[in-house]
Amino acid sequence: MTASGLLIASGLAVPLGMSLACFWPGVRERALGWIWAAPIPALLAALFARGGGIVMSPEPLRLTLALDDVGAMLLGGAALLWSAAGFYAATYLRGQPGTGRFAVWWLLTLAGSLGTFMVADMTSFYLAFSVASLSAYGLVSFETTARAKRAGDVYMALALLGEAFILLAFVILALGVPIGNPLIREAVAALPSSPLLAPALILLVLGFGLKMGLAPLHVWMPLAHPVAPMPASAALSGIIVKAGVIGLMRFLPLDAGLPGWGGGLVALGLFTAFYAVAVGITQQQVKTVLAYSTVSQMGVVAAVLGAGMAAGAPGTALLAAFYALHHLLVKGALFLGVGIVAGSAPRHRILIVLAMGVLALSLAGLPLTSGALAKYAAKPLFGDGLAAALATLSAVGSTLLMLHFLRLLREMPAADPDAAPEAGILLPWAIVALASLVMPWILFQPVAGYALADLFEAKALWTAIWPLLLGGVLAIALFRIGRALPQVPEGDVIVLAGTLWPLVQATGRQIETADRWLRQWPVASAMLIVIAISFALAL
Amino acid sequence: MMPAQVAAPDGVLLILALMLPSIGLLAIFVLGHSRPERIALPVLAANLAVALIVALQVGHSGQAATYRLGGWLPPLGITLRADGLSAALIAMAALILFVVAIYARGNFASKAGGSESRQPMVFWTLLLGLSTALNTVFLAQDLFSLFVALELLTFSAVPLVCLEGSRETLRAALRYLLFALAGSVLYLIGVALLYGAYGTLDIASLHQVTRADRATSIALGLMIAGLMAKAALFPLHLWLPPAHAGAPAPASAVLSALVVKAPFFLILRLWFDVAPQPQPVIAGTMLAALGAASILVCSVLALRQARLKLMVAYSTVAQVGYLFLVFPLVMGSEAAVPWASIGWTGGVLQLVSHAFAKASMFLAAGLIAEAMGHDRIDDLGGAAEAVPISIAAFALAGLSLMGLPPAGGFVAKVMLLTAAVVSANWWIAATILAGGLLAAGYVFRVIGRAFADPAGGAPPPKAVARSRELAVLSLAGVALLLGFLPLQPFAYLGIGQGGMP
Repeated sequence: MTASGLLIASGLAVPLGMSLACFWPGVRERALGWIWAAPIPALLAALFARGGGIVMSPEPLRLTLALDDVGAMLLGGAALLWSAAGFYAATYLRGQPGTGRFAVWWLLTLAGSLGTFMVADMTSFYLAFSVASLSAYGLVSFETTARAKRAGDVYMALALLGEAFILLAFVILALGVPIGNPLIREAVAALPSSPLLAPALILLVLGFGLKMGLAPLHVWMPLAHPVAPMPASAALSGIIVKAGVIGLMRFLPLDAGLPGWGGGLVALGLFTAFYAVAVGITQQQVKTVLAYSTVSQMGVVAAVLGAGMAAGAPGTALLAAFYALHHLLVKGALFLGVGIVAGSAPRHRILIVLAMGVLALSLAGLPLTSGALAKYAAKPLFGDGLAAALATLSAVGSTLLMLHFLRLLREMPAADPDAAPEAGILLPWAIVALASLVMPWILFQPVAGYALADLFEAKALWTAIWPLLLGGVLAIALFRIGRALPQVPEGDVIVLAGTLWPLVQATGRQIETADRWLRQWPVASAMLIVIAISFALAL
Repeated sequence: MMPAQVAAPDGVLLILALMLPSIGLLAIFVLGHSRPERIALPVLAANLAVALIVALQVGHSGQAATYRLGGWLPPLGITLRADGLSAALIAMAALILFVVAIYARGNFASKAGGSESRQPMVFWTLLLGLSTALNTVFLAQDLFSLFVALELLTFSAVPLVCLEGSRETLRAALRYLLFALAGSVLYLIGVALLYGAYGTLDIASLHQVTRADRATSIALGLMIAGLMAKAALFPLHLWLPPAHAGAPAPASAVLSALVVKAPFFLILRLWFDVAPQPQPVIAGTMLAALGAASILVCSVLALRQARLKLMVAYSTVAQVGYLFLVFPLVMGSEAAVPWASIGWTGGVLQLVSHAFAKASMFLAAGLIAEAMGHDRIDDLGGAAEAVPISIAAFALAGLSLMGLPPAGGFVAKVMLLTAAVVSANWWIAATILAGGLLAAGYVFRVIGRAFADPAGGAPPPKAVARSRELAVLSLAGVALLLGFLPLQPFAYLGIGQGGMP
């Protein structure tokens, strides 16, 4: 049992312990002020315990924690955002009813999401993933409005559906390793030669894609992310979607070189990237636009993973993790920033809106920002073909969507003409924003293997700039025709599911009628005789 | 070829497992009609101790414990035998009965000098009767003793349904009695046919001699159908929802957790120990198809119930359906013997974890109804504040029903899924997953309502005893602990299975 192993374990134990402590009402009522501290051990683990690990229980259960480079990168970013958003929440939700309940769901979601980056065995992964996924319901449905309730119901239904897909995929994966609870990498190593490779891959992409928001399974995100309180939106959109990303990274056989499957994932990812932009630009709510932007960006991450899997390129997971880290920090800062802008008078907004502009365009690859670094690092995976061109064009879409977002942000009505942003929400936002600008520069060279100087070459700069320019031109056109666009409802295709609802209800009523019929004496007795005869014949 | 055996010392405990509750039952008649719980509780505690010692001894020796009544060998004598599975099940039944008894003191404690003592007297007597019957079902080794045990079980269970004595509950009890009677008749005809064909009812002897002929098929068909009626498998569940509607919570808990499991256990024995091997694939598929229909239809019905108790009752029919999925899964496995297969182990674990989870859920529903004064799901707002521990227990038990980690139901579900994938029964895998989703729907519906604000004008909730709430939570806790079992066949359940004596 090493020091690094203990540090990693404490990353999970501290938030879980804090959530258990909330069983006492006295602790629960004060918990909101302390949730910022819960992810600190995990942050320290990400910084100092890379490469460490610990086996939490003996054979045959062997729950195992281990922190590799991919896990450490996402763990560090997630822990930082959790901590900052927790600090933000203490001010943002001060005095509201139900903060004790909020803190409990927050701590559980946090523990689960950090767990997904640290666990090495399949059972623990499923456990951590489920805890994160299901506890987040408490964050989504925190506000007791009808809109939040619907978002919560849709979220829960789809989260459980995703769990079902993942469980079946895990069962198939575990078959390849004839022991109780295999390590993830053991199971994945056996997957490419499995006769059940096809169903396993489809189920994995369905299950984790649902969490990431790959179209058309993204429908819950534009509903759920906007209704949560601002810090929870930041965590949901920044971190929780990464549970799906880490799932694909860990469970897809990325180095097996599966061109067909990889190509399929690239297509799904790029479709999602463009589709979400197309729907996103019709939205008029700031947070909904950001949610669609998350869908679009996760499409890009899926495409990166798909391209890597197609080529069997080593280091794919690390490049995708780098991209995911960039998105995690930027999207977290954007959501936190929206809360600041909404709560302050126009004259206090100018600097913040400017900073938000840099952050937003970072998603489109603004030169020298984390987005540019992440896109540059991932680009070689796509090669030179159609996929590469479309991946580059997705930056045009991101530019358009982000300019739309900035316009809505600037037009946000102010609550109070004199309100100045409070330090309690300004500080955590500034920390996350700063981290998003600095952290990728530190990690770029070890992750991508390029020198930083490469980024300043004219060709590289031009590759980053022209999509921005093109996006800008399109944005001008969009603002001209803006209101003429059709208003797509939040969650777009979920509306189709809504039309099926009466049918579902009718089926339920029919089943009830059938049940009443079957529970009549003559019918049930006849059934008994039929069953007896059938078995007599069959046996 | 029966090697003569002297009763091993642990075998004596088996007869104690039968006699203890019976003696307690008689003692209530003779001594304790004023305070029956003072006799029943210690007897059930002793019964638990005996069951645990048997279970430990079986595990320790790695062999089945056997007792031959009067030293007579089968087919003349009667044998009691506890292999790993039986030992685990008597321990399960004893533990659940004991916790239910602790809880039931709140419902059926006799008042000192009170005039109305019929209900307590009847309840505690029946609880001991159930204990005897269950121990006999799990330990007896011949089909006629099992018939007697099954009848004792039914006769103890039926009056539990109508303790309240209202017209409604009496109708429900009669319904249950009549349908169970039909099941008994089918079973008895099957027993007669087998006796006519083979001249023995001893399971171990039958195991050696059964042939795949017409008489055997008819006998087994009738018996399995009869037992299904007693297990309330869809579409033979007509008696179950009304029975639960008016039954007191402790009665519902034992009914759902234990009573409907006994006939399933007998089907398991008929299938693996009596039916000629290999069993026809089509019959296994038919059992699983009824199980699947049970899961899907009754989960949807549970989702649509207005009353909490009926929701939990329909959930029982659905959860019993999972048990019937076992048959094709075991046939499709590559394991040399059924109990070495992951499907069989998953089925047994589903039985046990559902027993604990459902007992907890019914008891929790009882406390919720006591506190709120009703059990309409839509009006449960405020329940989470009134009875937080009961709601927590309900949620934890629900976790097991949904098959989410870390709960026994999860491990059981993963095992059944694994077996379904290995045997390429994709329709079974899909059913298991769909059943989990529907279960999540009906559990979350209750939890969600319980956390809502209380409706205006609702009477303030009544307080319930903390000790009863903790009893409920402890059952849910066991269901949760079962989730830490490893995902592989358990050696314990295989004890005594390979070498039938």
